Amino acid sequence: MREKPRFPKCYKIESKPHKFCPGCGHPLVLKMLGEAVDELGIGEKSVFLVDIGCSLLAWDYFNLPTAQTHHGRTIPVAIGFKMADSQKVVIAYVGDGGAYAIGLHHTLTSCLRNDPITTIVVNNTLYAMTGGQMAPTTVNGEKTTTSPEGKNEEAFQTLHGPEMLTGIANKNAFLARSSTDKPLVLKQYLKKALETQMDGNYALVEALSACPLNWKTDAKETIQRLQELEKVFPLGEFKR
Amino acid sequence: MTSNEIKVLFAGEGGQGVQVIAEILAQAAFLEGKAASYIPNFGVEQRGGASLAFVIVDDKPIVYPKFEKADILVILSNRSRERVNEYADSKTKIIKGPAVEEGIKTKLPPQVWNIVVLGEINRIGKLVKRESLIKAMDERFARQFKRKLELRKLDLSALNNERL
Amino acid sequence: MIGSSYNGIEMTEFLMGNRILARAAFNAGAKIMFGYPITPASEILETWIELSQKDPSLKSLQAEDEMAAGFSTIGACLAGIPAFTATAGPGNILMQDAFSMAEALRVPTVAMIMQRGGLSTSTVIYSQEEVRLTCFGGNGEGFRIVYSTASPQDLYDYTLKAFKAAWQYRFPTFILADGYQGKMKGVVKMETKRGKKDKNVVPILKQGVNLRNCYNLEEEIGEVIVNYSDEYNRVREKIEEAEEYQMKDAKVILIAHGIVAAAAKPAVDFLRKDGIPAGLFRPITLRPFPTRAFAKFLRQVEKIVIIESALGQLSELFKAELYWINVPLTEINKPAVGFTPEEIYKTISSLQ
Repeated sequence: MREKPRFPKCYKIESKPHKFCPGCGHPLVLKMLGEAVDELGIGEKSVFLVDIGCSLLAWDYFNLPTAQTHHGRTIPVAIGFKMADSQKVVIAYVGDGGAYAIGLHHTLTSCLRNDPITTIVVNNTLYAMTGGQMAPTTVNGEKTTTSPEGKNEEAFQTLHGPEMLTGIANKNAFLARSSTDKPLVLKQYLKKALETQMDGNYALVEALSACPLNWKTDAKETIQRLQELEKVFPLGEFKR
Repeated sequence: MTSNEIKVLFAGEGGQGVQVIAEILAQAAFLEGKAASYIPNFGVEQRGGASLAFVIVDDKPIVYPKFEKADILVILSNRSRERVNEYADSKTKIIKGPAVEEGIKTKLPPQVWNIVVLGEINRIGKLVKRESLIKAMDERFARQFKRKLELRKLDLSALNNERL
Repeated sequence: MIGSSYNGIEMTEFLMGNRILARAAFNAGAKIMFGYPITPASEILETWIELSQKDPSLKSLQAEDEMAAGFSTIGACLAGIPAFTATAGPGNILMQDAFSMAEALRVPTVAMIMQRGGLSTSTVIYSQEEVRLTCFGGNGEGFRIVYSTASPQDLYDYTLKAFKAAWQYRFPTFILADGYQGKMKGVVKMETKRGKKDKNVVPILKQGVNLRNCYNLEEEIGEVIVNYSDEYNRVREKIEEAEEYQMKDAKVILIAHGIVAAAAKPAVDFLRKDGIPAGLFRPITLRPFPTRAFAKFLRQVEKIVIIESALGQLSELFKAELYWINVPLTEINKPAVGFTPEEIYKTISSLQ
C-alpha cells in the first residue's frame, strides 16, 4: 500500500481539511512553504502574516504564530514585527491585490529599504474572495466582473511585480517568480527567499496561482490557463 | 493677573528670528527659577508668513500660554503690525524693531536685529537679568558660537545695541 | 539650584511639548517609534531619533505614510516590544485603519494625537476637533483609552500612564493633546532614568497563537464584541480619571478638557470673585468617560456649561453618559479656535 504523503510538521492538523476551494492554488503554495520551513528548520522562529482576501483563509493553517492583517497592510505589520524581534523569520503572505494595488507603495518602500522580510505574492490575476474583480495583474483580454469586455492592456498596463522591483532592489535582494504548476521549483525559491531574509536582505517571490472558481475553468482548462500565464509572467529569478 | 506677570507678544515674519528671541527670553526666565511659557503661532509658509510668539513670565505657574492683551508688544516687520492690533491696549508698551518704520535705530547688521530687539525688550520690561539672557543665548547658539567665535561678540554687542 | 534643577531622581527642564512626549515615551520603556512627518507632531519623531542616536537599543522608522506607521506599530507590539506613533489631523484619519485592527486584536498601541483642526487639511496649529475621531474612530465601536492632557507636566505624566494602561488592559491607548501643547515650551519635571521593565510587556504573537479579525458568521463577531464590551465595562472604573476644581459646592459646573480646561481654571476664580458658585469638572480620560466621578455632583448641579474648541464633541461624550440629567446645559463652541481665561469668564458671566 502506498504511504500517504506526510503533512509538513508546521501544519496545524486541527484546521485540516482546509477551507480553500477545490483546485485553488493556495494550498499548493502553503504546502511548499510548510516544507520549506521544515527543511530549513525554522519552525520555531517563523512568524506568518496574512492579508485580506483568500490568503486570510490561512490564518490557522500553520502552527506558526499567525496574524491576519488589514488589506494591503501585511507588509508594514511584518516590518514592525521584524524591527522589534529581528531573530524571527517574518513572512508576509499576500495576494496580487494586496501587494500591487492597495499595498503597492508598501511593497515598493519595503524593497527600497531592503527590509529583511519575505514577501510571498500569490498571483491569480484577480480579486478572488470578493467575486473576481480586475486586479493589477489581470492580463490583456481577461474578462473579470469589473472588466466585462476584457481588460485592455493599452489602457491599463499589466503589472509585473518582480520585474518592477528590479529597478529599486538592493543587489543582494532576491526576486523570483514561479508557479503552482511547478511546485518543487517554487519550493526552492521559497527556501531561497527565507534564507535571503536570514542573510539580512529583501526577498519577494510571486507564485502564479489558479482560481478555477472565478476563472470559470474546469481542471484541464485551469492548468492550460496557468501555463498560458507563464508566457505572460516569465518564471525565474530577477536581478537588478 | 498678578503684578509680577508680564505678557510679551512678538510679531514678525518667518525668517526674522522672531521665535528665537522669544524662546531665549522664556529660557532666561526659567534659568532664574521663574515660571515661563512660550508658544509660537504661525502658518505653513517656511519664510515670509506671519510669525507670532507669546511669552509669559511670572512668579507662579502659568496655566494658559496665550493672552488677550500684551504688556509688551514687539513688532519686527511693518506687515505684522496690523495682525496684532487687537493685542494692544492703552497700557501696552510697543517696541518696534529696526526693520519697522520709526523703529529702533542701530548700526548693526540685519542678521542680529532680532537680538537688538531682545536687548531693548529687557531694558524696557526689566524681565530678567542680563546675565540670564546671555546664558540662554549661549545655550541656544552653542553650535553656532563654537563654529564662529565672532558671532558671540556680535550678539553680545547687539544685546546692548552697541557697535563692536 | 536655580532653573534646570536635578535632585538625582527628577530633573526640571523648560521644554517644548513634543520633546517632552518623546522623552516620556523613553522613560516609559518604549523602544521603537514609527512616524510620518506632520505638523504639529514632527518634533516627536525628530526628538526620538536624537535619543536613538545616543542609545542604540532604540529604533525608529519614518514610514511611507501614516497607515504604514500605524500598522508597523502594531507589528512591533505583537512582538512584545512597546512601540508608539504620533500624528494629527489627516494622519489621524489614515491611521484609523490601523487603530481598528488594534482594537480587534487588542494590541497595546500608544499614539500621541496633536489635534490640529477638524475639516480636511485645516490648519497645522490647533483645535479640539479630533475628539470623536480619536475616541470612536476606526469602525466606530471599538474600545480605546484616551487621555486628554492640559499642560506640559501632563504630557509627561500621562504618557507614562498610557504605556502602563495599554499593556495592562490591552486597548489601543491615546494621548490626546493639541498643536498648542505640542509647540509650546513650559516647565516640566521628569525622572532621570527610565523605569523598570513593565511585567505586562510580553510577546502577544507567539507559538500557538493564530489571530484573525475576519469572521465568517455574524454571531462569531457579535460574541467577540460583547465580550470586549463586558471586559471594558468591568475595568473602566480603574481607568477613569477626572480633575475637580472648586467643585465641592459648585452649582454652575464648567466642563472642559485639555488646554481649554487649563484656561477655564482662572475663569472659575474670576466667577467666584463675582459670587458665582462655579466649579470646573475636567475629564482627563475621555474614554472611558469619568461618569462615576461626575455623578457625585448630580444633586448640587444647577447649570452646566461645556466649553470646547470644537462643535459639541466633548458635549456629545458627556450627553451620551449622563443623558438623564435634567439641568440647563449651554455649549460654548469655537471650532478650531482657543479660549483665553478672560474670554471664558466674560462669556459665562453674560449667561448668568
